[in-house]
Amino acid sequence: MEKDSAAQRKQIERFIKRMPSLSTTVGKVMEICSRTDASPNELNKVISLDPVLTGQVLKLINSAYYSLMNKVTSLTRAITMLGMNTVKNMALSTAIISTVSGAKKSKTLPTAKFWAHSIGTGVCAKLLARANNVPVLECEEYFVAGLLHDLGKIPFGDEYSEVLIRANQEQRSLIEVEREMLGIDHQEVGRLIAEKWTLNEAMSSAICYHHDVDAAAEENRVRAAYVGLANMYANIQDIGYAGDPFPSEQSAAKMLELTGLTWEMFTEIAEGVDAEIAKAQIFLQI
Amino acid sequence: MKIKFWGVRGSIPCPGPNTMKYGGNGACMELRVDGRKEVIVIDAGSGVRELGTFLLKNDLPNGPLEVALYLSHTHWDHIMGFPYFVPIYIPGTRLKVHGPVSFEDDPLEDVVGGQMKYRYFPINVGELSANIQYERLAEESDRDLGGGLVLHTKFLNHPITALGYRFEYQGKVFCTCYDHEPYRNLFITDPDHPEYDEAMAYEGEQVAEEQNRAVEAFFRGADLLVHDSQYTDAEYQTKVDWGHSTFEHAIAAANRAGVKKLALFHHDPDRSDAQIDEMVKIYCQPGKYGDTEVFFATEGTEIVL
Repeated sequence: MEKDSAAQRKQIERFIKRMPSLSTTVGKVMEICSRTDASPNELNKVISLDPVLTGQVLKLINSAYYSLMNKVTSLTRAITMLGMNTVKNMALSTAIISTVSGAKKSKTLPTAKFWAHSIGTGVCAKLLARANNVPVLECEEYFVAGLLHDLGKIPFGDEYSEVLIRANQEQRSLIEVEREMLGIDHQEVGRLIAEKWTLNEAMSSAICYHHDVDAAAEENRVRAAYVGLANMYANIQDIGYAGDPFPSEQSAAKMLELTGLTWEMFTEIAEGVDAEIAKAQIFLQI
Repeated sequence: MKIKFWGVRGSIPCPGPNTMKYGGNGACMELRVDGRKEVIVIDAGSGVRELGTFLLKNDLPNGPLEVALYLSHTHWDHIMGFPYFVPIYIPGTRLKVHGPVSFEDDPLEDVVGGQMKYRYFPINVGELSANIQYERLAEESDRDLGGGLVLHTKFLNHPITALGYRFEYQGKVFCTCYDHEPYRNLFITDPDHPEYDEAMAYEGEQVAEEQNRAVEAFFRGADLLVHDSQYTDAEYQTKVDWGHSTFEHAIAAANRAGVKKLALFHHDPDRSDAQIDEMVKIYCQPGKYGDTEVFFATEGTEIVL
């Protein structure tokens, strides 16, 4: 039932064209959140540029802290009452997930499970980075890279279920079967989205090369490898679902070598992963 | 209502010759209400250990213990006594743990019980014999605790979510306000700063003032207020945003709010008895700062309202 790959690509390109753009706000929120020296003024300004995001953040804060009472009516108020960190974290995750989840089309990968996998990968990438002494300021970017790494699966249509079935039955890596059956893989589709959203190189690399780290530019290779390993971990541990229960062992060995991570470190972060995922779950309810 | 201080220190227990008089145990208070079997405990700092021992002697002979624990927040100095609170190991004890958790944190049970893992403690939280229930609290008014006891809670200003408690019973009010630092305008107020924004600076100021007024309204008219006062104004200059108040602030705010008795609480672990004695002379002079009677909370003392 292989579809002509040119037609397949065209269909995906059409889909991406219709996808919402990642607002400049989200990019800026991402930047602010990765800096610990950002001032309350900067944070406030960046979020308020986007009235929808502002509304979502306030809604989330009110429902999390004040249940029925809508006490927090402005960002300035939120930052004064609850502090920078709370507002920063809420804004970041709200911004990304609400932008992306609106674009989900295919029922092949159920939205909640897909995002659980994405969050799990993000959390895991962050914790691995932290465990391996990556500078603290960069760790949040590892989270975002992990969160976004499977963006390329979003535009696949219903035919994707056949890909998932074959990868599972034949115990092969998903990316291999995607190439075989669709003529394009989710890394390549991810690149098209990253280009549309003008994501920075480091972020794009995690999306485009988490299964082929050697192909990434040298300065982005290690981060892509962290995301690749985090992705494998999330798959093996059944955190959410995005296909790919049989990742390539060869590429795992390569990524371990690149990052200097050991399998023992995965055991060490296991507990932290569950806790972090529990925290992040609320964003799926937006 | 009768309140007893079992621990009055902040940050970390500091037993020793220099803290014998005011006490070296971490935050813990016992609240008894006439005719109520349930013992109310506020915070489980290290002081809760001795309270537990007392309950076994005093209350257990009259039947299984009923304890309601209210945590101001989950920083370690306020929960570290929990594993040593013996009633949790007694079958039949009914313990309800209430407290706030920061939005992104784990459930209260995991936050409090997280310290009872084999790597930290020989007994796992799942192995406790008592019937323990956990309830996450947020800001709330007029919570009916039964028997005429009413509870109000208020978010305070601390690096993690912290709650103040206001218990009302037969016209008497007992209130806690720690760990807490007065709200302040976090936004840039210097008009020459490149990021200065007039509206933000103005609103930040307004909200901070409004929240400070709201906290005072929360303890208005209290018969006893237990307030964070870890620092002097001078010490505070290097501890801004650490989440604690000064003596000067606590005393002024209590007076403005018509508080009858103010217990200065959450003493800095470095504060010796001799230093507190000196401070008593400064801060506890009747009428000097207003009508509120001011005293330094002392381990083992009781106040009847």
